[in-house]
Amino acid sequence: MKRMTVAFALGIACLSFALPVHSADGGSVASKVEELGRMDYLKVTDLRAVRRDGLLRVQATLSNSSPGNQQLYYRFRWLDSDGFAVWEEEPWKPELIYGKQDKVLSVVAPTFKAADFKLELQSPNNSTSAESTGNGNVADKPPYR
Amino acid sequence: MKFCHLSLLSVLLAFSMSACQTTNSPTVGKGISYGDAKAVETVSTDLGSTDIQTTSEKMTQSLLQTPLLQEIIQKRGLLMASPVENKTSEYFDTKLITDTVLSHLQKNGVRYVIASDEMQNQVDELRRQNQSGLYKKSSTAKTGNMQGAQYRLDGSVSSITKRGTGVKDVYYKINMRLIEIESGIVEWSDEKEIRKVINY
Repeated sequence: MKRMTVAFALGIACLSFALPVHSADGGSVASKVEELGRMDYLKVTDLRAVRRDGLLRVQATLSNSSPGNQQLYYRFRWLDSDGFAVWEEEPWKPELIYGKQDKVLSVVAPTFKAADFKLELQSPNNSTSAESTGNGNVADKPPYR
Repeated sequence: MKFCHLSLLSVLLAFSMSACQTTNSPTVGKGISYGDAKAVETVSTDLGSTDIQTTSEKMTQSLLQTPLLQEIIQKRGLLMASPVENKTSEYFDTKLITDTVLSHLQKNGVRYVIASDEMQNQVDELRRQNQSGLYKKSSTAKTGNMQGAQYRLDGSVSSITKRGTGVKDVYYKINMRLIEIESGIVEWSDEKEIRKVINY
């Protein structure tokens, strides 16, 4: 009985120190990333998250397949385990990604309540389907003014 | 039969007219619209809303990772913030940064006391309650019970501006520190760099 209690306590300790919330694999990345329009040159090539010291830490790698620089705007949405937002809307953040560069974005959740996340991405060179914009093929509402 | 056709036509006409109508928006005035407060602001090279928001966010996230801050939350320790010093040549309210950082920290359980520049209102209220003779003694907030903070947040904003032919480059560095008041030891510090470029 005593041995079982120790094993259980160790299990809990492991969970609280390093709980892999998400590992980067094809389908899961898509479920965590929301692109405002289809991004032609920028792709999330790796996405991983871990809970450490009670805070959710997320690391996303974005790869620029074009030789030219790409402007990216991104922000995270922090959610609890039921999918409810636990933090206010984040500001959009600008990030310049050089041609053929892999850029790593590392963030820490701003609240201990965050158990899940969504990564919102927008790039001015995004393209959208003809039906959604009517006539254009470049996303016309970038998050800047 | 003809009457039937006419009435059907009038009903269809009335329905189509009502379908075309639009409702009025609950607004007054013209020419001003509300934008997205979280949008990336690129109006000028001066420090703007995006810089304040991203800096505050970075500082909060960095502070939350510090074991000391987690200990302060657990032990219900007290923090206070001195105004962030503006060492740049431009004017902006640096208090925006400290206010946002404190607000974000408080949402995570950090308690803080008011800063010296806000003391006058506090003193006025305590005097009004204790010296005006208008309040019941049992319900007044007593003087001499205010609590002192153990840690102090402060910081500074510096900038380097360079101008070339057709280009202006501004580099900002925002630094914040958490200092133990009694010992003066800097327990945490972090910085945020921002580069803004405008081509004429």
